[in-house]
Amino acid sequence: MNLLCLLVAKDLRRALRNPLPWVIHLAIPLAITALLGLIFGSGGSEGRGLGRVRFALVDEDDSALSRFLRGALLQGQVGGYWEPVVLDRTSALARLEANQLSAVLILPPHFTRDYLTGRTPVRLELIKNPAQSLQPAVLEELLGVVVTGLNAVARNLRSEFPAWRQALESGADYRRVADLIVRTGEKLDTLRPYLDPPRVWYTREVRSAGGGWSGVSGTVSGVNLFGYLLVGLSTMFLLFPANTARSDLHRELACGTFERYHTLHDRLWPFLVAKGVFVGAMVLLSAVILFGRGGLVFGVAWQRPWVMALLVVGYAVFAAGFSALFAAFVPDARAADALGNLVVMALGLAGGCAFPPQSLPVWVRDHVTPMLPTAWLAQTLREMEFGSGSPAWDLVLLRLVGLGLALLGLAAWRFRRCFAEGGVS
Amino acid sequence: MSLLRVERLSKSFGAVRAVDGVSFEVGAGELYGLLGPNGAGKTTTIAMIAGLLRPDSGEVFIDGRPLGADPQRARRILGVVPQELALYEELSARENLEFWGRLGGLSSRDARRRATELLEALSLADRAREPVKTYSGGMKRRVNLACALLHRPRLLLLDEPTVGIDPQARLGILEFIRHLRHEGTAILYTTHYLEEAEALCQRIGILDHGHLLVEGTLARLRERVGGDRLFVLEGDLRGARPEAWPGFADRFRVIQLTEDHMVTAARDARDPAECLRDLLNLPVRVENVTVKRPSLSDVFLQLTGRELRE
Repeated sequence: MNLLCLLVAKDLRRALRNPLPWVIHLAIPLAITALLGLIFGSGGSEGRGLGRVRFALVDEDDSALSRFLRGALLQGQVGGYWEPVVLDRTSALARLEANQLSAVLILPPHFTRDYLTGRTPVRLELIKNPAQSLQPAVLEELLGVVVTGLNAVARNLRSEFPAWRQALESGADYRRVADLIVRTGEKLDTLRPYLDPPRVWYTREVRSAGGGWSGVSGTVSGVNLFGYLLVGLSTMFLLFPANTARSDLHRELACGTFERYHTLHDRLWPFLVAKGVFVGAMVLLSAVILFGRGGLVFGVAWQRPWVMALLVVGYAVFAAGFSALFAAFVPDARAADALGNLVVMALGLAGGCAFPPQSLPVWVRDHVTPMLPTAWLAQTLREMEFGSGSPAWDLVLLRLVGLGLALLGLAAWRFRRCFAEGGVS
Repeated sequence: MSLLRVERLSKSFGAVRAVDGVSFEVGAGELYGLLGPNGAGKTTTIAMIAGLLRPDSGEVFIDGRPLGADPQRARRILGVVPQELALYEELSARENLEFWGRLGGLSSRDARRRATELLEALSLADRAREPVKTYSGGMKRRVNLACALLHRPRLLLLDEPTVGIDPQARLGILEFIRHLRHEGTAILYTTHYLEEAEALCQRIGILDHGHLLVEGTLARLRERVGGDRLFVLEGDLRGARPEAWPGFADRFRVIQLTEDHMVTAARDARDPAECLRDLLNLPVRVENVTVKRPSLSDVFLQLTGRELRE
């Protein structure tokens, strides 16, 4: 134990004296999370990803149809995704200026009349908040869908429009409106393939306590897109500090300090374990920065932080074993430097860290990804934090630790063999 | 009893026979020099003695016991100074020394005290707290040497400890090594510097292509060549055939013969003036004759037919 402490203390002291490589590796994830935060904004309200898109609706038409649209926007499940406020143009622009809104949607005067008569093109006005990027873009996309729908309706129900215009202009003649609804409804049947089912939707299932699967209805908390991305990218980035530690092991081989240690101690594993502890410490520090700061930036409230911390410790053990084994099997430092980053990237990409594993090629997804510790960690954390299941994290932890220790043992065996045969330096 | 005994040690790397049947002994308080050109097998021999490299055959005995029987015990007796600077350059000399001392089994206090002693002895005390990367080559060499001495090894293996440093720094290190020998440390010293081996070592083994060609004291090695003196003839020696010169082979032994000079030694203890007369009467055009004491270079030349280039 004394020997281990001595060796770890030496590495920490060296890292403090020459902090640049470590600072770079700790700064990169910091910079990336900060950059993502700047690009996409923070996690939004209630710490749930994008949160609701807040925009102002300026109804300068103030017709029965525009009031109907206004009401529709404020009701039902859509209220979970966006938050419209009805304002006049001046107030809306003032609040947009104050960054309180993502956009302002203006229904122009005579919107209903122009739409129903079809004499002049109808122009909706969307003023986006330049200080935000994602929310206004989402709103613009949604508005595009609405415009497409209005165009489809206008093309298919043009013959009904005069009657609708008369009904709306003549006040509340409910019998007439009811007839129109029935007639229009029959015609809308022809539009069913376009409108129902929706082009994009998702269903969500939860495993009940009894182990069965059941559908869930009602309001669900939204998937935190950035939290999901953060977990994957962090899993990949955590291997980069391990790669720096591998590079340090190569330096020890090149300058003969590892060999000098061997002239004093027959057993090599304390040296490698100490290096592993050092790697683990650096990986954990990086994890705190990535998950902690990333969580703050994207408003992710980690559901099970202690389990997450344990899994990261397991991953650090794997990272230590991985870096030691890499140094043992690629003794040339330059080749290892070049190859190391590639291998880390490959582990990350094939492990589904950069994008969802479902989008990987089928063969990789079915045969490679399940074998990769990057996938073990990323998928378990994603499922645990953003899924509704309860993954067997304890088994994953055991696998990570077991694999890490096995790799360290293999590295010690390989180094001993290389020393004995004279192939180390 | 010798502290180090090496018996028929051999090691090959693929088709290259790096060390071939090398045997020698080093006693307590003895400084044994292993002399040879680069690639002769000196470092490989040291690595096998230090337990870093597994020999193909042969055995190493440390303090009478085979190295493999108790490697950790052997490591406590050994101190190894590698040819490369095996130091942490970010750390200071004191930190390096204390670290290697602790690793050698010293307590924190003993390591600190011993580091102070060695820093003083090697004239490094005034810059002991500065990072090693700011040191000159000579200073780094001294730290490299000191790192192997923290745990007071009884047997010190020095692998070319003065490579690449200036003459003054080299003299300082050689003086310190003499001091260690006087304190009773057995030292195996490898070098390709002839003058270092001549100045330092009590016994010298000459290694070439993995073979230990000869070993003994400097005086004995000189005797092998030609006793006290050698004669160097300079002139036009193209086509010279000494074996054809009447009576020459009975009185002289040719060490080296080239187109413009010949090194020869008298076979008996005749008067040098008489030898000179004989040489000047040879049937070749001689422009100059000098008399010199044989050096290790001459020994190497006689054994291998090649110069030991520095």
